[in-house]
Amino acid sequence: MQTFSPGARSAIIVNGQAMESVATTLEALLEELSLKGAPLVAEVNGTIIQQADFAATPVQGGDRIELVRFVGGG
Amino acid sequence: MSMHQAQVSGTSVACDDLFVIGGKRLSSRLFMGTGKFGREEEIPSIAAACGAEVITVALRRVDLSGAGGNILSHVPKHMQLLPNTSGARTADEAVRIARLAKASGAGDWIKIEVISDARNLLPDGYATARATEILAKEGFVVLPYMNPDLYVARDLVNAGAAAVMPLGAPIGSNRGLQTREMIRILIEEIELPIIVDAGIGAPSQACEAMEMGAAACLVNTAIATAADPARMASAFGSAVQAGRNAYLAGLGRVLNTGGVASSPEDGRLTGFLDQGGSL
Repeated sequence: MQTFSPGARSAIIVNGQAMESVATTLEALLEELSLKGAPLVAEVNGTIIQQADFAATPVQGGDRIELVRFVGGG
Repeated sequence: MSMHQAQVSGTSVACDDLFVIGGKRLSSRLFMGTGKFGREEEIPSIAAACGAEVITVALRRVDLSGAGGNILSHVPKHMQLLPNTSGARTADEAVRIARLAKASGAGDWIKIEVISDARNLLPDGYATARATEILAKEGFVVLPYMNPDLYVARDLVNAGAAAVMPLGAPIGSNRGLQTREMIRILIEEIELPIIVDAGIGAPSQACEAMEMGAAACLVNTAIATAADPARMASAFGSAVQAGRNAYLAGLGRVLNTGGVASSPEDGRLTGFLDQGGSL
C-alpha cells in the first residue's frame, strides 16, 4: 500500500532504468529529468499518455514509465 | 518530334499518372528514410533534391542523459510522415509502437516492420499480417514491409493494407533487387501498390523496379551512405521517374536470338559505293 506524503521518494522504472523520484505527476517527473517540453510521448504502465495529459497523470511507486520520441529511421 | 513537344507530352503523362495511398495523392514515387544520416540537418536539402513526399522515421526511447535532437524539426512540413515499427519482434509490439507513433502526433500512416531475425533482418510474415489487420481496423493507413511471398501479400491485402512493401535484399545491404522474380509476381498478382523497400543500393536498381511496374521505391541507406547524399538523392529521384515513364511507355520487345537492323534495309548506299564511286 502506497502512503503519500509530500517530498517522499518513490521507486519507479523509466525507460527500463530504476530510479527514485519525488514527482507525483508525469509533468513533474519530466521536469525532474530536464525533459519538460521535449517532443515525446509517454506510456505509464502500458497506457499511452499524450502531452496534454502529462500534468493530470499521477506518478507513484512501482510505475513503469516509457518516454519515447522520433528518431531517424528507414 | 521537337524538344518542345517532347516536354509537353512528358508533362501530360505525369498528370495522368495518379498515385494515391490512403486517400492521399502523391506526385513523387520515391519515399525516403531518415536513418544513418551523419548530419540530420541535411534532411531538408536531401528531400528537396529527390522530391520525396513520404518520409520514414522510427520511435525510440528518450535518452535520459538528455542527448539527441528532434528529427521532426528537420522534416519539411509538407511531407507525409511514415513512422515505422522497427524494433518490434512481435505483432503486439508493432501495434504498441504504431499507437505510440499516432499519439505522438505523427498522423495515421504506419510502416509495419516485425523482425525477430537479427542477423538477416527478415520480416515475420505472419506477425506482420496480424499487426496489419489490427491497425487497419483502428483506421491506420498500413504499409507493411514484407518478404515478397505471394501468399503473405494476399494475407496483407485481406488484412487491410494500403500497399505492400517487399524487400529487394536485406535491410541496409545495398545489394539491389535480389528478389526480382518474386517482386514481379507480386506486381502481376496483387492489386495494391507494390513499393519496393530495403536493399535498393543504386539508382539503376530503383529504375529497374519501376520499369517492372512497382508503384514506388523506398530508399534510405543508399542515399544516406553515399559520399554526396544530396546528389545521390537527386539521382534516385530521376531514376524513379525514368523507370516509371519506361513502364508507362511499355518496354520494347526482346529478341531471343539474332538482331534486326534499326536503319532501313531499302535504299542503302552500299551498292553505289561498291560500283567504284570515290569521294
